[in-house]
Amino acid sequence: MVRDVFTFLVGGKAGEGVKKAGSVAAHIFSDLGRYIFQLDDYMSLIRGGHNFAVVSTSTRWISSHYMNANLIVNFDKRSSDLHLNDRAEDSIFVYNSDEQELDKGIGIPLSSEANKYPMKSLMIGVGAVAILAAVIGFKKEELNQIIKNEYPSGIKDNIAYANTIYDMVYPECGNKFNLNKGEKESPIITGNEAISLGAIAGGLDVYYGYPMTPASSILHFLAKQAENFGLAVVHAESELAVINMAIGSSFSGARSMVGTSGGGFALMTEGYSLAGMTETPLLVVLSQRPGPATGVPTYTEQADLSYALTAGHGDFLRIVASPGTIEEAYYLASEMLDLVWKFQTPGILLTEKHLSESSMTVEIQTNQAKWAEPKMHNAGTYMRYLDTEDGISPMLFPPSKEVIKWNSYEHDERGITTEKPHLITKMHNKRGKKIDALVKELKQRKTVNIMRGDMNSNIITYGSTYMSVLEALKYSKLNPTIIQPIFLNPFPVWELVDYKNQDNIVIEQSSTGQFTTLIKEKAGLSVRDTIKKYDGRPFDPIELSKRIKEVLK
Amino acid sequence: MSELKTNADITWCPGCGNFGIFTAIRNAITRLEEKDVKRENLVMTAGIGCHAKIFDYLNVSGLYSLHGRDAATAQGIKIANPSLKVITFSGDGNGLGEGLAHTLFAAKRNQDITMILHNNSVYALTTGQFSPLTEKGWDGPSTPRGSFEKPFNAISLMIEAGATFVARCFSGEIKHLTDTMVQAIEHEGFSFIEVLQPAVPYHEWAEYRDKVTFLDKKPETKEEALTIARKASKFTLGTFYQASEQVYHKALYGDHHPIQNRLSRETRLNKISKILGSK
Repeated sequence: MVRDVFTFLVGGKAGEGVKKAGSVAAHIFSDLGRYIFQLDDYMSLIRGGHNFAVVSTSTRWISSHYMNANLIVNFDKRSSDLHLNDRAEDSIFVYNSDEQELDKGIGIPLSSEANKYPMKSLMIGVGAVAILAAVIGFKKEELNQIIKNEYPSGIKDNIAYANTIYDMVYPECGNKFNLNKGEKESPIITGNEAISLGAIAGGLDVYYGYPMTPASSILHFLAKQAENFGLAVVHAESELAVINMAIGSSFSGARSMVGTSGGGFALMTEGYSLAGMTETPLLVVLSQRPGPATGVPTYTEQADLSYALTAGHGDFLRIVASPGTIEEAYYLASEMLDLVWKFQTPGILLTEKHLSESSMTVEIQTNQAKWAEPKMHNAGTYMRYLDTEDGISPMLFPPSKEVIKWNSYEHDERGITTEKPHLITKMHNKRGKKIDALVKELKQRKTVNIMRGDMNSNIITYGSTYMSVLEALKYSKLNPTIIQPIFLNPFPVWELVDYKNQDNIVIEQSSTGQFTTLIKEKAGLSVRDTIKKYDGRPFDPIELSKRIKEVLK
Repeated sequence: MSELKTNADITWCPGCGNFGIFTAIRNAITRLEEKDVKRENLVMTAGIGCHAKIFDYLNVSGLYSLHGRDAATAQGIKIANPSLKVITFSGDGNGLGEGLAHTLFAAKRNQDITMILHNNSVYALTTGQFSPLTEKGWDGPSTPRGSFEKPFNAISLMIEAGATFVARCFSGEIKHLTDTMVQAIEHEGFSFIEVLQPAVPYHEWAEYRDKVTFLDKKPETKEEALTIARKASKFTLGTFYQASEQVYHKALYGDHHPIQNRLSRETRLNKISKILGSK
């Protein structure tokens, strides 16, 4: 049977290789030239608990996982209890018969077979790959090749185990699902990899971080790539250190970036304001998880939007933008680096766990990335805060015979502290001019994605929720106009004038509707209804399409 | 070469201990220039407090940071451009209160920067509250019954944390202070100088002049340095510890220079394509 979307879900305890099995599955589909979207759902613990990976694949571009799965492999009882209701109409449900007996599904002794080999617990993941291979009709030789490539340690045992499991499931469900081949094989990357690579493409030199989910994988990826790209990547003692070090590096002329989540960003806001006053180009990646406080560390939400828009004390220009897809995250990271250096002010690339840590097929034109270059001082006596027509003062970096002073106090054009009233006003005005200059610049750029539909309603959404909305609309075959603002500050009101009094529906992941408030108050758009979700989980396309239908009817 | 003094109005109290530090750093820079250290390679940061006003007065490039964050800013400058010599001016409240973690970690990492900690044992600019280096019993506006916390011993604290050059000076001993500053800036690794400096509304010069003494000799080992630092009076001047250890930026990226050796856009894009091809 051929279907538009095929979904594989694998669940078990942390440490059993669930995520790995998911990504091996993703690459099996990718090798067939198919598109994938993978969600990794995990708890804030190292061993035990319940983790699952869900990979949806299609021969067309796919922008969400589906919780309704065609093949569900459970390593333990907890997993099969939780995912029994995730079965699609046409599905295979595999449970671990060492832990339970069920009247539905196929019981396989995954643990006792694995226990026959050393390093047992990780091999269960191999079992899931074997089951998938059987179900989609792969030959054993194909399976063995995959195991060799993906599980290089203990190849012999892994292959033996995989073959045993394959032989057990094949009679019942072998070759049950045929997956059509797609047109070409494209890379699969996570959102955090896209952000990291985009920043490197844009000129990144130094990255500072303090571990915090879901931003940590940026620190890990960049640390691993540091030597390859000549970057300095530092895990500092706190987010306070992180942002102040980054500001120091920008002073040296290095393109610097930091990454964190809400709680870490709260600590950074002191330095964020310093960047505003000193006119430091600085890019912050703020990847949201449910708050307030420690919240729910490994899940997703969009409730730091209003915080990001106004973070830091005092009046200064803050650039905030949020990518709607993993591909867009690559381009936007470079563009944000470009903008913060052009306008010498801090900016936030606002994203969520759902984009940061999900993986999908991307077709990135690497050279479409922007390249960050500041306006430089040419000759003559240097004044760091020279008042210019657009408020942007030329930059100069040490070593230089000229004296370069950046100052957290209000200062004169040379950067010397001042308390004089006319200078305070003048410097506020100087920095304020940059807002007008930025808006002028953004009017030349793409700040909103608009896909015109044939219905009388518009759906307005942003960030990773955009991906969920696109998939939900594909599923439901509804075709409203979709509006996705990429820039959130300055907010591109000039692009939305036509939509002011139309039938607008907002979809977002905040319990108070922070994005709805922005749309209403900043853009002056009427909003008839908001579809919200705030349980830490991203929207499922089927569930979301039902809610959209209800609102649009 | 231009003046080492800017034309900013100096707003330290007449007779403030900070003047001695200001004189000594200008002497030290002149001495370093004679030793072929280029002035443009010197960069400073400062925290917030009376100590930090030196930022406006000293005609050297730098970043006037936030209260307590100057050590972090200084480290960021150095990590991006390891050819710069970075000096951070700090205070007892700034560097050992608000910024304690940054100070300790700069030492722990043996970051190749110099911290000059102006110790006036009081929060002077905010009107006289007790600081992390104030003796017990201080009658300040936040401790009307007298402060009851014991002060840190900055010298033993910094040796323990990992600083590889640790000295105490007095702003009334300008020659010693100048010599020590030159040695500290030349030292490869984290160098720390605690400078005793009276804030005249709160302390008198005589309180220091009568008590300061000098170490007989530089202790040879870390253990010896710690023992002496713990036993010595807080008015004992001299270099307590000096050692040669790997500096942070070299451990981080060897002889690489993130700015001078930055990869071109084209090289980056090629490498990115290669990574994407493997995904």
